[in-house]
Amino acid sequence: MRIVIRAIVTLLMVGVLNFVLFRIIPGDPAKLLLGGARSSVTAEQMQALRQNWGLDRPLFPDQVIDYLSATIQGNLGYSFKFRGRHVADLILERLPATIALVGLAQLIAIPWGVMLGLYAGWRRGGAVDHIATATSLALYSTPSFWLGMLLVVVFSTALGWFPGYGAYSPGAITGSLGSFLDYLLHLTLPVTAVALGLIGQYVVVARAAMSDVVTEDYMVTARAKGLTNRQMLMRHAFRNAMLPVVTLIALNLGYVVAGAITIEAVFAWPGIGGLTVEALNARDYPVLQGIFLLLGASIVVANLVADLAYGFLDPRVRQ
Amino acid sequence: MSEGTVRYPPRGRARAIKSFLRQFLGRGGAQAGVLCLVFFLVLAAVPNILVGPLQTAINATGDFLAPPSSQHLLGTDDVGRDVLNLVVHGARISLTIAVLATVISLVFGTTVGISAGYYGGRVDVWLMRLTDFFFVMPSFVLALVITPVILEVWGRGGDIFGFRPSLFVIIVVIGMTSWAFVARIVRSQTLSLKERTFVDRARVVGSSNIVIMVKHILPNLVPQITANGALVVAGAIYVETSLSFLGLGDPLQPSWGTLLALAQRAGAASAGAWWDLSPGVCVLTVSLSFVLIGNALDDTFNPRRRVIP
Repeated sequence: MRIVIRAIVTLLMVGVLNFVLFRIIPGDPAKLLLGGARSSVTAEQMQALRQNWGLDRPLFPDQVIDYLSATIQGNLGYSFKFRGRHVADLILERLPATIALVGLAQLIAIPWGVMLGLYAGWRRGGAVDHIATATSLALYSTPSFWLGMLLVVVFSTALGWFPGYGAYSPGAITGSLGSFLDYLLHLTLPVTAVALGLIGQYVVVARAAMSDVVTEDYMVTARAKGLTNRQMLMRHAFRNAMLPVVTLIALNLGYVVAGAITIEAVFAWPGIGGLTVEALNARDYPVLQGIFLLLGASIVVANLVADLAYGFLDPRVRQ
Repeated sequence: MSEGTVRYPPRGRARAIKSFLRQFLGRGGAQAGVLCLVFFLVLAAVPNILVGPLQTAINATGDFLAPPSSQHLLGTDDVGRDVLNLVVHGARISLTIAVLATVISLVFGTTVGISAGYYGGRVDVWLMRLTDFFFVMPSFVLALVITPVILEVWGRGGDIFGFRPSLFVIIVVIGMTSWAFVARIVRSQTLSLKERTFVDRARVVGSSNIVIMVKHILPNLVPQITANGALVVAGAIYVETSLSFLGLGDPLQPSWGTLLALAQRAGAASAGAWWDLSPGVCVLTVSLSFVLIGNALDDTFNPRRRVIP
């Protein structure tokens, strides 16, 4: 219960931060919203608008509460750039592309990264361990969008195997099998870039978890009981080492949306990241706020899931 | 855990430092990390001597997107600037941003952590609630919304302490959003340190709370702070590169991230101009060096870890 309350408080803080940021931008929000039309609006009209929008009331608590309650009802305001469209609509429109990208990358990264990391930790000092550790540390420190640019240079420009831009080829007929394959082809390079970054993280954490487990006393006991290597691994080491790994996976489900922003920018992928770049360039604050709220919410929920999963999996915490 | 830093008499201290250095440098990763860092620090210290003044679109010397040649070892970018020149000057910008942001984050995180751990009670509860928020929200996500707003408030003209305002804003924003990790570690260490007898002794002779925190507790935290400081630098480089890549850097004082953003905008990757992507190699090398150094410091200071290779 305390975990849930803490998550809600964090979300409220995200909302309040959103509100504060929007209000410290110089200039009256009413003027900001009217944009180019500002010179042709009379002072009386402005006053009426301010009253209409509730801008004449005190900032705290009236306006904050207004803002938060509107946000909870799903009203995230209107975009500056996209001709006054609902921010919530814009975000929902872009969300599937990001989920496809990030979801596919996770599906690839989790089994590979975890297995490789656990194996490296189990056979510490072996050849696999040396190679996996060095590679994953390098991947861990590489900005994944740069990796994406390299993939474009090699596999798109030089070899011409995969497209390096957008989600569909121009002139593709939507809804056909051909367009689906075309979509998958476009997904290949961005998914690879996201997945490689994730694999780096999973290998580092899974290896560290396994290294901690193999020095535990119960492993010595297991060996003394005469268990074979395989039995030790399956009965004792694997499940204990998976604890921190599962937590990281749950956490990552929230963080990768943010992490994929720069990669989407490289590949002009039409997801949340692409929207972020457009909003940043146009200084479209309502959209930026909406994205921040989405990222904040997904991170808070992921943290909640990680906490709950840990409590569920670890009997020591459950009691 | 921090036995290694309990006060030594002068000669013992020299010996302790020597044995620390031997252990630290005995790790292959640490050696490689230190060597790479020294190399980049030299680049950052004297870029003008090595490659001449920063090239701009006006004093550019080469063709557009020319591949590497004997005149331009790393080729040229889309307006004819020498990429080697840009990368070397970028070292100064990127490293300065990362190091200054880390200093802010360490000072703030340590202050919050010590106060929370030392005073306990309500101070602890409230400071830790604040820390939890920044711990959960990644620095990159916070900086993504805070930076453009603050840039709008301050404007992009003039300079602050020799930095363009946009760089200054990025330094402060990264620093103020990446301290939570440090605060947590410092707090947990302070909780155990404040129960030690040397703190009681200081209190009995009448030292104030501030003196106890600064003179008696802080020196014992140095190992944890430096080990994590190296990791904070790596994180700061990552956040700065990503933010600059999204266009929040300053084209007049280009960091490695800004150079990559310019390359992306010029379509360098789809033109096959791989040399224009070389700033990424520097980001990778520097942040890997800091990770290796941080890990080696952690292993050296933490006796439990020393057992595990």
